[in-house]
Amino acid sequence: MDVIVQRSGGLAGARLTWEVRVDEQPDPDEWYILIEEIPWGEPPPVPPEPDRFVYRIECPPNEATLAERQLTGPWRQLVDRVQEATDPKRNAPLPGDPREASRRRPTR
Amino acid sequence: MPQIVPPYLLDRIADAGAERFPLAAEAARRSLLHDAPRRALRGAPPIMPLPRDDDELPTVLPDAPSTPDRRISDAGGRETLPGRLVRREDEPATGDESVDDAYDGLGDTHRLFDRVFGRDSIDGAGMPLEATVHFGRRYDNAFWDGERMVFGDGDGEVFRGFTDSLSVIGHELAHGVTEHTAGLRYQGQSGALNEHVSDAFGALVEQYALGQDAGAATWLIGEGIFTDEVEGRALRSMIEPGTAYDDDVLGRDPQPDHMRDYIDTADDNGGVHLNSGIPNRAFALAARELDGFAWEHVGRIWYDALTSGRLGRDATFAEFAAETVRTAEARFGAGSREARAVERGWQAVGVPGEPSEQAAGAAAE
Ligand SMILES: [Zn+2]
Repeated sequence: MDVIVQRSGGLAGARLTWEVRVDEQPDPDEWYILIEEIPWGEPPPVPPEPDRFVYRIECPPNEATLAERQLTGPWRQLVDRVQEATDPKRNAPLPGDPREASRRRPTR
Repeated sequence: MPQIVPPYLLDRIADAGAERFPLAAEAARRSLLHDAPRRALRGAPPIMPLPRDDDELPTVLPDAPSTPDRRISDAGGRETLPGRLVRREDEPATGDESVDDAYDGLGDTHRLFDRVFGRDSIDGAGMPLEATVHFGRRYDNAFWDGERMVFGDGDGEVFRGFTDSLSVIGHELAHGVTEHTAGLRYQGQSGALNEHVSDAFGALVEQYALGQDAGAATWLIGEGIFTDEVEGRALRSMIEPGTAYDDDVLGRDPQPDHMRDYIDTADDNGGVHLNSGIPNRAFALAARELDGFAWEHVGRIWYDALTSGRLGRDATFAEFAAETVRTAEARFGAGSREARAVERGWQAVGVPGEPSEQAAGAAAE
């Protein structure tokens, strides 16, 4: 199972993506327990706060988009875990941006 | 005029000395003003600028005092707001650079809105300017939460502290002004306009504090935010969107500079920080064409548009462009060079500025 966290927005408008293969983690059971706790389904929309981060969390078949201040409880725990387990890719190519098509994608 | 004081020192005096040495700061500004066109030249032979007549000086002087009510709090590395109140209006510097930079930056921003546009604070009624610094641990961002400006310290690898840039502080405060005026919805084109307005006034705050005219201005947003490790000048370039940085770790500045490259995406509230490059360039081009102090022409025109009450919360680029052309004509006259420069700015980025063309513009989104 994969967990993908994508953070977009922010003053810099940069996009970071963290991707974790749960089965390759030293403690997959704890990941599964945490993922079970997540109240999947889109959380209620909140008024956007200019320049604040937006998180998209995918854990097939589930996915959700959250404002940064909605990242509480198990959501926050999952994102913290993902960010600790792996380094992000920055600014993965945007669909439809022809300038990005041929660029090397540096990782971090 | 022979130049004795090097420009960087003039900058420092003009920028930082205003509170303690208003006369020296003003003198430094005048000097910068005169030197600016020459310093901006690249590769061309130096030209001595003509002395300016008094009536060419700004109608309102940059260091005219204004009376902000600033309140800076310290989140102490936590993500809890507002944090501990550490500096109120008229209190001395704390020695904490982030606290004092935020305090000074909010003062510069208040001064621009108050002295140039006649707006006292975010709501136009003297509301306190509240900011929180040291938000989060290695937090790579600054934002407006609807009540206050919040600044992180940066991770130290890519980003320095977000109070290091006056244009960033002005950007955040301008989000408050937009919320209290046109209320542009933070999604898609109206969201990119919201971002654009913050970049425009962020740039103007910096230019006003430095006494820079449109030709001398960098038109960069967030200069000094990156560490030395990053190959980049700033977060964004208003005059050349897409060129602010190109770095192995950070990637390349993704901003489009023309409507034909408008980015459709679900991320970032519909690409608000990406597509803002398009109106940013229109604004900077118009300002450069007019030269002189941008806050006196395009700044005024944009402020009029923001506060006219005629913009919808979901305004498109084309609707916003049409409104700026209208406010340019209302303030400077139909067929004035100001109105023509604004029209040409929008044309250069592929946004129709005539109301009759709005439908075509909206259809092309
Ligand atoms: Zn913003």
